[in-house]
Amino acid sequence: MSGPRRERRKADPDLLDPERLYVITGDLDDSERAALDLVTMVVAQAEPSPTFQPEQAAILRLCQAPLSVAEISAYLGLPFSVVTSLLSDLLATELIESRAPIVRATLPDRSLLEAVMHGLQKL
Amino acid sequence: MVRVESPPTDREVPVVRVVLLPVVLLLGATAAGSALVAPAARIPVAVCGAIATLVVAVLTVALHRARRATRVQRAECEQRIAYLEHRILSHDAETVRLTKEVMPAAIRRLRVGNSPDEVMRDIVDADAANRHLPKALREQIHQVLEVIDNEEARRDSAQRAFVSVARRVQAIVHRQASELREMEDHYGRNPEVFDDLLRIDHGTALIGRLADSIAVLGGARPSRQWPKPVPLFSVLRGAMSRILEYQRVDLHSISKVAIVGTSVEPLIHACAELLDNATRYSPPQTRVHVTAVEVQTGIAIEIEDGGVSLSEEARARAENMLAQAQAGINMNDLGESPRLGMAVVGRLSRMYQLQVSLRQSAYGGVRAVLIVPREMITTGPAPGIAHGIGATSRPTSSLDMSQLQHVVPPPGKRKPKPAATGPVPSVAAPVPTGAPAAAARPAAPAAAMEDDVPVVTEWTENGLPQRRSRGRAPLGSHNLPQQPTPPPAAANGFQPGPGEGADGGRGEEKPPGLWLEAFTKAVNGVPQERKHGEDSDDAWDKGDLK
Repeated sequence: MSGPRRERRKADPDLLDPERLYVITGDLDDSERAALDLVTMVVAQAEPSPTFQPEQAAILRLCQAPLSVAEISAYLGLPFSVVTSLLSDLLATELIESRAPIVRATLPDRSLLEAVMHGLQKL
Repeated sequence: MVRVESPPTDREVPVVRVVLLPVVLLLGATAAGSALVAPAARIPVAVCGAIATLVVAVLTVALHRARRATRVQRAECEQRIAYLEHRILSHDAETVRLTKEVMPAAIRRLRVGNSPDEVMRDIVDADAANRHLPKALREQIHQVLEVIDNEEARRDSAQRAFVSVARRVQAIVHRQASELREMEDHYGRNPEVFDDLLRIDHGTALIGRLADSIAVLGGARPSRQWPKPVPLFSVLRGAMSRILEYQRVDLHSISKVAIVGTSVEPLIHACAELLDNATRYSPPQTRVHVTAVEVQTGIAIEIEDGGVSLSEEARARAENMLAQAQAGINMNDLGESPRLGMAVVGRLSRMYQLQVSLRQSAYGGVRAVLIVPREMITTGPAPGIAHGIGATSRPTSSLDMSQLQHVVPPPGKRKPKPAATGPVPSVAAPVPTGAPAAAARPAAPAAAMEDDVPVVTEWTENGLPQRRSRGRAPLGSHNLPQQPTPPPAAANGFQPGPGEGADGGRGEEKPPGLWLEAFTKAVNGVPQERKHGEDSDDAWDKGDLK
């Protein structure tokens, strides 16, 4: 994932944005990042309103349907940490809801998995 | 003068008269004496009398002559003095004219870029009033011009040196900024490193602004070029990212316009300096509010702080500083602890026809208004990447979507399911309930968790997925191309027309997360799975058609 992006950045440094990332994340010191990882699914709970920061509005639009943090990061072209910081703000205001991925240990039903596997195999 | 000249003429005659009186008196005395004395002494007395008379006559005449000569001399003297006074007066007048008219004109011409010799020729020789100037004065003017010329040259070279140093710093900062951005992308997943990188990034941006300021004060234009228009919002955030206390700045209702590429950098810089002033001269707990609204002449960017009120005097001083800067100050005037901000803003506003004014704010602080002229604004779409600006981030995603779409089964197969999820996204995406729900999730996460986008590309004999890390195609893409033709889609409300195949699905507004969710749903649906027979689409239908 990082490989291609690094190449792209190198290719056209002129297209860097005027704003730096720290402006987007806001204050670094007093922001507590929520426990999010790349695969946490995020769903918007509200429509974006014009008062939001554009990135947050974009997240709300993207997350009409559940989307993983990694995907949000890719679509916005922002590093993971920036996205988590944005999401933390949104979570704090309850505009989005996050769902941690289910741990494998709680997984059940071997027969179901097999059924899926067979189905996939037949494709 | 008239008084002096008249006497000699009418005193010319009286000479005889003046001599006559003593002579007649002496002659009378002599005659009386010789008549009174004894006849024997008469002759000597007469002789003595005659001699005395003669002497007196001669003396009188001599005396008179002398007096007349003195008078003439004095007259001449006074005439000379008058002439000299006249000379001095006219000389003074000439000097005044020289300082008040000739020199300024000459210096103006010098500043325009003429050499001292050319100036001498144009101002002194070509002008009839100045042509008769004495050689010494010409010499003097020439020397003064030479000195000024040398000074200017020296100052120019000093400024150029400043600018070139600043340019080098800018180049380093620029390179470092882009490298930092790369690193930020690279270490984006490690919050500790990332936060530190941001801090370094911030510091670098501050250095960059200082270098920009020096370059601008050195008379150069901002070096950085933005090839494409940039949204005003990004411009203002760019300005924020160059000040120390960017956290205190709030952007409100920023007009949705873009700034043409050539004007982006000066505008960022001017706004950064104004924001810096605003945050620096207001208490640390107050916020700085920025709005940008359209006005007749362009866009008015208002920067309002809640700091100490600007007294009329202070305001006058600040405006004066601006005006000075607009008139073109040089670096020598900045003093020992220079307050560069206003000088820089003044310079930039002169170079780019921005209008700046400082007023008292309703909050009690200062309100700086920067008017951006209409020529700098473009209302067209701003192609410059402004990350996060909603308008631009969406296209990116839709582009990615089109790549993803071929992974997702054609609408016909999958569509039935959106009935459950699509229309009601706010229901938190019908979350998998119970144990079966969990089954689907790990598959995706497991893939996502890998660094290199592992992609399931093949299957081993015993039915286990085999991953290839370098593939571009997302999850399971190879499986899908040979989808049978989609069944008539009449049933599903999403499909606009029955004629549309996979293309229709692609064009459709479909949130990017949907396919994954669809997969999730598909597996969740197992409880009421309908055995369709050995159709190859079995797996999909199972879930989708529930």
